[in-house]
Amino acid sequence: MPFKKQYNSLSSEDLFRKFHIDLPLLTAFLILFSISLIAIYSASNSDINAVIDQSIRIGISLAAMILIAQMSPLDYERIAPWLYSLCFILLGLVLILGETRNGATRWLNIGISFQPSELMKIGMPLMVARYIARESLPPSNTSIALAIMIVILPTYLIYLEPDLGTSVLVAFSGLIVIFLSGIKKRYLAIAFSLFITSLPLIWPMINEFQRKRVLTFLNPEKDPLGAGYHIIQSKIAIGSGGLFGKGWLNGSQGQLDFLPERTTDFIFSILAEEFGLVGIAIIICIYLFIVGRGILIAINSQDLFSRLIAASISLTFFIYVFVNISMTIGLLPVVGVPLPLISRGGTSMVTLMILLGMLMSVGTHKRLVTK
Amino acid sequence: MSFKSIITQKEDQNIFLNRILFSSLLILLLASIIFIRLVFLQIYDSDQYKLRSLNNTIRTQSVPPSRGLIFDRNNNVLAENRPVFQLEMIPEQVQHIEKTLDQLAGLELINIKKIDALKEKIDSSYQFKAITLNTKLSEKQIAIFANNRNIFKGIDIKTRLTRYYPKGEIFSHALGYVGSISSNDYLRFDSAIYTGKEQIGKTSIERDYETSLHGYPGKEKLLVNVRGRVMDRLDTQPFEPGNNLILTLDTRLQEVAYDAMQGKKGAVVGIDPSNGEILIFISTPSYDPNKISQGMSNSEYAAFQNNKNKPLFNRAIAGQYPPGSTIKPMLALGGLEMGYINPDNFIPCEGHYFLPNYSRPFNDWTTHGSVNTKRAIQASCDVYFYELAVKMGIENMSAFLSNFNLGKKTLIDIGSEKKGIIPNRAWKKNNFKSKQNQSWFKGETVIAGIGQGYMLATPLQLAMATVMIANRGSAFQPHLVRAIENIKTGELQYTPTEEINNLEHIKEEHWDIIHQGMIAVVNERRGTAYGIFQPNVPIAGKTGSSQVFSIDKSSNKEVPEELRDHGLFIGFAPLKTPKIALTVIIENGGGGRLAAAPVAEKIMQAILDSEKKNAL
Repeated sequence: MPFKKQYNSLSSEDLFRKFHIDLPLLTAFLILFSISLIAIYSASNSDINAVIDQSIRIGISLAAMILIAQMSPLDYERIAPWLYSLCFILLGLVLILGETRNGATRWLNIGISFQPSELMKIGMPLMVARYIARESLPPSNTSIALAIMIVILPTYLIYLEPDLGTSVLVAFSGLIVIFLSGIKKRYLAIAFSLFITSLPLIWPMINEFQRKRVLTFLNPEKDPLGAGYHIIQSKIAIGSGGLFGKGWLNGSQGQLDFLPERTTDFIFSILAEEFGLVGIAIIICIYLFIVGRGILIAINSQDLFSRLIAASISLTFFIYVFVNISMTIGLLPVVGVPLPLISRGGTSMVTLMILLGMLMSVGTHKRLVTK
Repeated sequence: MSFKSIITQKEDQNIFLNRILFSSLLILLLASIIFIRLVFLQIYDSDQYKLRSLNNTIRTQSVPPSRGLIFDRNNNVLAENRPVFQLEMIPEQVQHIEKTLDQLAGLELINIKKIDALKEKIDSSYQFKAITLNTKLSEKQIAIFANNRNIFKGIDIKTRLTRYYPKGEIFSHALGYVGSISSNDYLRFDSAIYTGKEQIGKTSIERDYETSLHGYPGKEKLLVNVRGRVMDRLDTQPFEPGNNLILTLDTRLQEVAYDAMQGKKGAVVGIDPSNGEILIFISTPSYDPNKISQGMSNSEYAAFQNNKNKPLFNRAIAGQYPPGSTIKPMLALGGLEMGYINPDNFIPCEGHYFLPNYSRPFNDWTTHGSVNTKRAIQASCDVYFYELAVKMGIENMSAFLSNFNLGKKTLIDIGSEKKGIIPNRAWKKNNFKSKQNQSWFKGETVIAGIGQGYMLATPLQLAMATVMIANRGSAFQPHLVRAIENIKTGELQYTPTEEINNLEHIKEEHWDIIHQGMIAVVNERRGTAYGIFQPNVPIAGKTGSSQVFSIDKSSNKEVPEELRDHGLFIGFAPLKTPKIALTVIIENGGGGRLAAAPVAEKIMQAILDSEKKNAL
């Protein structure tokens, strides 16, 4: 009887749990996807085809997320070295055989054209987490040194493409795992001061294009029609939106094409212009909710590997949001990072949803307390 | 995969929680930074960004006003605005631009030589903005285009307003012409009220009444996108058209005068003595102002400027001629008034005048015998006036002639007027460089007596002096614009006329004598214009011939045209209440009687005929 009673009371929550879906997270994703479609319709000058395309990408991404969520964290831990190695080889191949578009060699064509650096966004946190989780915390100095090598090698390959934005984000998703594993604060302080002092040495090594971006960021008004144009127009769009915005499809900066890249990198500016501070405050809250939920999953999970990847994914997700918004409001240089779940885009969205699928998997797969 | 004890797991968890807490605080900090930044952008600085967003998208475009019309005194249109048809292309609607241009050239709709320039212009322009391919299509071209319209997608005929002068070259020196605005024009006129698309007055009335004729541009507020394409019209404020001008000129008289001047070089100015209104204003050869206003090529314009007959030169106000014998009635008046001559005294004229210490005599054009003042004017006796000049002296002569407004500008209401020369000792001192040329010679006084030497006057100045003779002293400032019609109120603002009279002290009987002389010129045997006019007409006049070049009179027949004498005629009619004071000057026409008097006769007869008609 008790068994039968339990069976009868199988709620919808249990049903989602059975399919390893975290309902609060899914709800948040669906809200953001709806906002994405609304924003893309406006940003594409009311092109319904752009909305349909994005719906298809959202569908594929959701499917990928659910599929990945069915695997257990144990599976991820098992495939981590293989995935990481595959990504590493592909990154090497990109530099030799890759396709060059707009001066950057980022694509590899194997029937379909894709960016191996995107795949590394998944491979990196898994590999570092697996390596760190093999021993107890805090990790030994040699482990830290090796973990750093695991991070730096692919990062450097991505930087060579060149793709500064992705290399920084990939590095971040690995370094965050090392940080969470409890590296001594002393080392962190040393690393930070080393980074600051090496800036003047790195500066001449960065290529012309990247340097220009940084300089433009520091003083956009110097070249308002050239390199500073994106930042200035974005700030005008956001600032002119005011508290309540100009209304959907009424943002002149977006509707009259003054804002460039507005379905991708600068979609946040469209939202800020048309829905005002109130609108984007709501969106930021949804992002913070997702990050918070992810951290909660990390804390509640029972083994170190799961905890590390869940936390890494959550924090990386936040960094994506932070970098994108910061560049639209002139806090960071324009590095070409899309706004998660809202910007138009194919591979980047699938990659992100795979990572979020892993987060769900961690949240819904109960593992043995003792292992 | 290693198995860990419960204790190490606890330891792991503590370190991890510690770091997670730190990270969460960092997240909140970064989120706050973003939020604060957004508050600054969207609330604190929002007004500034709203303004910049508007500036991005709103363009104000001015709409050129329509130019005021110009009428003659009887409401005949002299200058109006007419649509001209031009060929325009919107490049983004044309598939093969090069092929299309070649096809258009093949149909002679565009100039084949301009294709390269057009291609360059198309490449450097907005692809959605119309580009003018041909500024003026003929009727035949319009018909050709209409027949082939379907093969020329993206090409269309558009109209624009240009100035049109229905009377063509007859009024050109009075009206002037218009053209596109140059950078010099912007220095002179308020650039704020010009859109750059309209035509601007270049000379004469079109130039000097530009501010009245132009009007004020309208404004259109346009919503544009980043490439400047107009998305919407937000607000339009219509233009204020320019004011109309009503001139003093009389088309009928102007036509008679222009007809009489056909083939001649010179000027005719006729003024209404009762108010200073200029009825006739002609300078020949003239030009077609329509050609210039609708745009002519540089080579056409250069040909105009280099023409040796100088069609662009406004002889009526800027041509300076020796007045010759037309000065004689005025000098006689001065002589009578100052007591140097007695009207009843006859003096002998043997065709020569001798000045002591001068080896060569001053010749008269003929031998007149015994002449008094009236006869001297009637037959234009030089010897009589040589003697008078010597008696008066140059200073008295120049002082008296200045009363007739000679040697200074008349201040007519159009620019580029010349002031002529009435010479005296001071003038010569100031206008010659070498010391020996600065002193005045008595021989120069002698020839000044017959309006030769340094003396120069414009046709307008002589016409104004003739007004004073006709009115027995008084005149009015001459003007071409009778009234400005305020286009908004319909009100007419008349040009004020100011009376000038420097000759009030002249005795009536002295006026009578020179009037009798001038009537005799036209109506009595031995009068220099006798036989040119109908018998016993109520016209007074005086002929004049001014030497261009000192030559022996006996060989007149072989003198080349440009060295022949200028012919002059001044006169007024009818005698009782004069309706017109007229000056005719024919350059190199060969004497006043033969060249100028017949032109004056046609004009004055036309006036007398219409007077008669009105009286009936």
